[in-house]
Amino acid sequence: MATSSSTARRKRALMQNLRVLGLAIASLVFLLYVLAPVAWLVSSSLQQEAALTSVPPQWIPKDPHLDNFRVIFSADDQERVTYETRRAADPASGGFIPSTAKNLLPAMGNSFIVSVAVVILNLLVAVPAAYALAKIRFRGRNASVYGILITRVIPDIALVVPFFLFIRNLGLLDTLSSLVITYLAVTVPFSVFILVSYFEQLPDELDKAARVDGCSRLQTMTRVFLPLAAPSLVALSLFAFLTSWNEFLLALMFTQTAASQTLPIIVASFTSDFTISFSFINAAGVLAIIPPVILAIIFQRYIVSGLTAGAVKG
Amino acid sequence: MHAATLPQSGRRKPWLSHDDSSAFILLLPVAAVLFAVAVFPIIYSFYISLFDLKLTRPHRVPFVGLDNYFTVLTDQHFWDAVSRTVMFSVTSVLAISVIALLVALLLNEDFPGRKLLSAVLLIPWAIPYVANALMWKWIYDSNYGALNGILYQLDFIDRYMVWLGDSDKTLMLIANAFVWKEVPLAAILLLVTMKSIPADLYSAAKVDGANGLRRFFHVTLPALKPGFMLVILYESMMAIRHFDLFFILTEGGPADASHVVAWRIYVETFRNLSFGTGAAMSYILAIATLALSYVVIRSLGKRV
Repeated sequence: MATSSSTARRKRALMQNLRVLGLAIASLVFLLYVLAPVAWLVSSSLQQEAALTSVPPQWIPKDPHLDNFRVIFSADDQERVTYETRRAADPASGGFIPSTAKNLLPAMGNSFIVSVAVVILNLLVAVPAAYALAKIRFRGRNASVYGILITRVIPDIALVVPFFLFIRNLGLLDTLSSLVITYLAVTVPFSVFILVSYFEQLPDELDKAARVDGCSRLQTMTRVFLPLAAPSLVALSLFAFLTSWNEFLLALMFTQTAASQTLPIIVASFTSDFTISFSFINAAGVLAIIPPVILAIIFQRYIVSGLTAGAVKG
Repeated sequence: MHAATLPQSGRRKPWLSHDDSSAFILLLPVAAVLFAVAVFPIIYSFYISLFDLKLTRPHRVPFVGLDNYFTVLTDQHFWDAVSRTVMFSVTSVLAISVIALLVALLLNEDFPGRKLLSAVLLIPWAIPYVANALMWKWIYDSNYGALNGILYQLDFIDRYMVWLGDSDKTLMLIANAFVWKEVPLAAILLLVTMKSIPADLYSAAKVDGANGLRRFFHVTLPALKPGFMLVILYESMMAIRHFDLFFILTEGGPADASHVVAWRIYVETFRNLSFGTGAAMSYILAIATLALSYVVIRSLGKRV
């Protein structure tokens, strides 16, 4: 009796250890899978061109430096970004810093302006729609839900031809407004769905009580529901912001000059030129991922709930 | 329901009740925006597809009816692009589902550091596609890339390979970059589904003597079905329309190895400036995507 219980205990302890070991290995594999590509990008951006082009690669920079980033941030100082000064400063480095390096920060500014504008417009149109869809039983409610759903299924590449002709006819090519307008097509349906699923969880009694107290629909929405919906408003804003920040296809069609080019466009333009310094291209890549990754990590709670709500609904 | 909206005795409900009209007013902004940026362009796209509109000769735009569709649908190159798109999407979605399942199983366990892993998981999701493409282009680089570096150091290869120049591997290498970025979202969806499985199911299975593996196959997997359907639906739509990685990594090459439908639409429209056939192709793609999502949603039944 005593031996069998001690065998059972030993067996359980063994299982427990195996579980810990398994989890540790799985976590390590997971971290390696997710982080290794990004770590290599960051490591590359901190290396000298000579170190970067060594064979085999230097996985961890022996002599890390921030020159590539300095070039981006002091880029209105034209001297620093030419091929010759780069060469003179560091004879070992091959590859040049493109003159368009100075467009990186303005492009970041463009991305920021477009993204903020898209967020604001999303909030303005999605909140009333979501309140109506969640709390009012009206004729055509299901049809409206499906109508909004369908616009989300249409691939954006199917919209580029008409979009391009419109934007051109309106004289909006190469403007930030063209991006703000077209990004609404991509973001609004998702925003509505995140918000509808959130509003639906809030009790209908709230709505009734406010109405009995003499609030109009609009007042009920703004005074009762809006404050309660804060978490989903954060989620909605983040998604609209990140989608706009990351969007590439439409920006590629509508922007031509630094006046309207967004960060992804400038970064993409570097990758097609084989003479540009690799370490510099990687630095541009790092710059493009820092803001969205920071936002995602700070607001991860809202992102997870928003994604699941939006996805389950949509 | 609000008292004012109740139909009066003996009379039919008015066509437009008070609730109806306030709902319509609240929906007006969304309706206006979506009409302008989605519905109207979709209709206009069909209209354009009926004309032989080439920007190379913008002053002669003959009406050709459905000719553009016949041109596209009888073109062997288009069907080759379709088969590459299917290949890319099926591989990607399968890989995403499997890896996301493993990630979800890990994050569903309770252990210190789980929160950190969940935060790390969001990194690929947040990274812009362009930065993702740039990152993988650099990893796959034939002279200085990490893939060559690591395989060479581990003695798997004896000389550096031109990865993206190999037509047999290109599509799969792009799929790999796509999968890496899409796994987080799929994993989150599966994890949420997993968390909603009632604990009783597991204890019941335990009482019946089912071991861990059997519990996984008989309880977890079947319960994950709605989550998987969602992942498959969403990710196949993303894969079918995906463009950015093709643009930056290969531009459809080498030869035509990564010439998928989305890339073909771009080339036809913005490089050949043939807007009519480009619009027809877009329309075919949109209808195919809609049909696919309809089929998947139908097979989901009323579960979601």
